[in-house]
Amino acid sequence: MPGDDGLLAVRAAEGDEDAFEVLVRRHAPGLLRLAASMLGSPSEAEDAVQDAFVSAWRRLPEFRGQSAFTTWMHRIVANRCLNMLRSRRPVTDLDSVPEPEAPDHAVSPARAAESHAAAVALGRSLSELSPEQRVCWVLRELEGQSYETIAETVGISPEAARGRVFRARRSLTEAMTAWR
Amino acid sequence: MAMNTGAELPGPGTGAGGAEEPVDDERLACGRLLSEVWESREDGADDPHVRACPYCSAAVRQLDLLGAAVREAGGGREQEWDAGALTERVMDVVRLELRPGRPLPLGEREEDLWVREAMAAKALRAAAETVPGVRAGSCRIRPAESGGSPARGPVRVRLEVVVPLTPPLRDVAEEVRRRVAGAADEALGLPVADVDVHITDVTDPAGSDETERTHTTREARGVRVARGVQDAQDAEEGNQS
Repeated sequence: MPGDDGLLAVRAAEGDEDAFEVLVRRHAPGLLRLAASMLGSPSEAEDAVQDAFVSAWRRLPEFRGQSAFTTWMHRIVANRCLNMLRSRRPVTDLDSVPEPEAPDHAVSPARAAESHAAAVALGRSLSELSPEQRVCWVLRELEGQSYETIAETVGISPEAARGRVFRARRSLTEAMTAWR
Repeated sequence: MAMNTGAELPGPGTGAGGAEEPVDDERLACGRLLSEVWESREDGADDPHVRACPYCSAAVRQLDLLGAAVREAGGGREQEWDAGALTERVMDVVRLELRPGRPLPLGEREEDLWVREAMAAKALRAAAETVPGVRAGSCRIRPAESGGSPARGPVRVRLEVVVPLTPPLRDVAEEVRRRVAGAADEALGLPVADVDVHITDVTDPAGSDETERTHTTREARGVRVARGVQDAQDAEEGNQS
């Protein structure tokens, strides 16, 4: 019942840890997915989301519910990821390429290998984007956010968000074309 | 890129996004900007030119190819995250970080028992939610009279609730008020001068459409139900003087 997010956030802001726990449990999976896409590393994603929730708890008294709780959390996680990406060594480290997840879904081995190769190629191309481009691209392409929402999340103008997504797509299409 | 004409024109920006991204945009041989072609593709626009034009088609194919790669690589995103362990870790930190809360007096004036506002609020919300269908939100508890630091004496409770639409709202609010006052008095031993029940929203018992209103109307609409409150207050004041 995500409809009571606002209610729970108000309670959490007034010091109700149990209400906050419901929110954490409810939103952690989506935020972990978001952070993993942005960071390309499940373990870093867990750190990012954990820090984001702790920071949210501290800042909740300032959260006046102008936006939905989930939007607010997306913003905190996105900015946390942005900072983590920025603080990485400027040299593109191949370690940041996502470890291929065990393909436990039912697909043929050939298709799994193909998907796997595409995933690795995409992961590598993603790690070469600038942190700003990567974050905006993930919000647009994987989270399906509007440019207005991305702009709000990242704290830039919608035009700038549009431009970043476009540039990310250009780099990625070039990289993927080269891979094929 | 296959359709790269090499012309990186600053472009006058014929489309919505044209003016903002002149530097990195690319004008295709047919004269369209790459950003425009991709955007119309994204918007699902059916443009006869794009379908017929080899340059635009190539550009669209590349975007689709990227989309396909994203979907193929989507395996990681389907991953079932175990939020349980993370939730535990977050809550371990949270529970250690007690917010400095307002202390509230318990028991008689001459006693020295106190309860943190957040703790008392939790108990009062729970009491409110014993009324079927009621959800409690903000619960603020303040000394009813100023003076003393921190003040002892009865408190004033301001509680926000979301209630089901069915029975007369006033009756529900009155029942909430009664149970909250009862819990404060009996369970907590918190002398209460006044319980304000604010209905911030109503839920459709069919359960369909409460989701957004709960939030947006929280501050916009406050139905204050104060019947009986004044009486209680008068009685309290009578007792004290």
